[in-house]
Amino acid sequence: MVKDTGKTLYTGTFKPVNAPEAVEVYESPTGLPVALKTKSKQAIVSIDGKWRIDDEWWRAEPLSRMYYAVILSSGRRVVIYKDITQRRWYRQSY
Amino acid sequence: MKILCVLLPHFPLSCEILRHPEFEGRPIAITLSEGSQKLVLDYSPELKGLQRDMPIQQALAMYGEIELIHADVPHYWAVFNEILDALELKSPLVEGVELGDIYIGIDGLQSIYKNNDILVSAMQESVPATFNARIGIAEGKFAAYLAALNSPQGGYKVLAGDTNTFLKNLPCDLLPISIKSRVKLHDFGLHTLSHIALMSPAKLQAQFGPEGQLIWELANGRDDTPLYPRLTEETIEESTTLDSITLSLDLILMTLESMLSKAFVRLGQKGMGISSITIWTRSWVSQYWEQNVRFKEPAMNTRTAMSRIKQFIENVPQPGPVEQLGMKITGTGRPHGKQKSLMSQVRAQEHLLEEIKQLELRVGHPLLFERKEVEPWSRIPERRYILAPSNQ
Repeated sequence: MVKDTGKTLYTGTFKPVNAPEAVEVYESPTGLPVALKTKSKQAIVSIDGKWRIDDEWWRAEPLSRMYYAVILSSGRRVVIYKDITQRRWYRQSY
Repeated sequence: MKILCVLLPHFPLSCEILRHPEFEGRPIAITLSEGSQKLVLDYSPELKGLQRDMPIQQALAMYGEIELIHADVPHYWAVFNEILDALELKSPLVEGVELGDIYIGIDGLQSIYKNNDILVSAMQESVPATFNARIGIAEGKFAAYLAALNSPQGGYKVLAGDTNTFLKNLPCDLLPISIKSRVKLHDFGLHTLSHIALMSPAKLQAQFGPEGQLIWELANGRDDTPLYPRLTEETIEESTTLDSITLSLDLILMTLESMLSKAFVRLGQKGMGISSITIWTRSWVSQYWEQNVRFKEPAMNTRTAMSRIKQFIENVPQPGPVEQLGMKITGTGRPHGKQKSLMSQVRAQEHLLEEIKQLELRVGHPLLFERKEVEPWSRIPERRYILAPSNQ
């Protein structure tokens, strides 16, 4: 039996689920995604849907995202978003 | 893989005509009981508009004077298996999916049969002419099926090279998918395979789920469905004609017991038991009764087997006085090894969690997590759930 040392074992041990993953996205001059770089560069053949989320406007860093459901040249459907404040792209299941 | 498809249209009806030649040319529907419903299994080809699995009331509303025959499915399968046996002499890879649909793997047969004409006539020899076999050859099962469907009477059709031109104008009803999906395809205005082929696979997947991918691939002439050849199984069959017709359950059980004892003499030498058995009887008016009995664990002796068979025979009564009685052992097996429970103690869950807690204390960080709801309604996906330590 291991002795309970009274040490707090669980501080900071929560793990996020479905956290956004940074990806490299090539944009058109109008700012729309045209290709996604995963292992190789994959062209985006169509945009299946797009929606915007603005939230937490009362915080110092408000959240503003533009989501795109895109179809890749392989036929796969992927959801990506652009963080409008940081101007960076992420991939996330929605 | 190169596949040869043999279609035997109206197979159950052809079996009946083979048995009763007087049925030839008469308007007949073969019916099958499913629960409380009677459905059409097969019908004379001249009765246009009838469909398989149509309720019999609907069929009678269309054709009031058709003769109804009750299906003798075991007989149809016996005839079908004979055909498959004969075809297996030509190619070892023979799959009989449904009554009348046969797929044969023909890769490598070119060294025996120099060309398609010789190959097809060899296959035709194995199928009695009554069945009007239609034959198609193509890469993949679906293409071979379509080729057979469009083959000339008594001839065959080969699909080689670009199959897309052939598939283009065929109706989407030929796809091997659920009736619900077929109706949905028509609702979307996708009536032919070319309509579907022009769609993007992502859109079909979004509407039909995994079946959407299959629909798109088949419409584009891609078919990776493997061939499942028949497995050779050792079967033991015994049957007897009773001295006098009887309704006595005891006499039926006694006869079965003596047949089983004989079978166990053969099986016992190999240390095998019975895992499934088909019991059948035929009454003096030729009514057929059949039950398939499966054993959770192989029965290793007559007594164990009989106690289960007795239950079946008592629960499903005979349709009339029995004249003939038989059994077919369709599955054999060895006794199962017994796995002891890993969590034999009561409150095993608590013990397991305690063990994990001990391990976590030793390594210094949690190892087991569970998903907890935080804001499941949130528009921000990562705010909806978190993984929290289980032992907290």
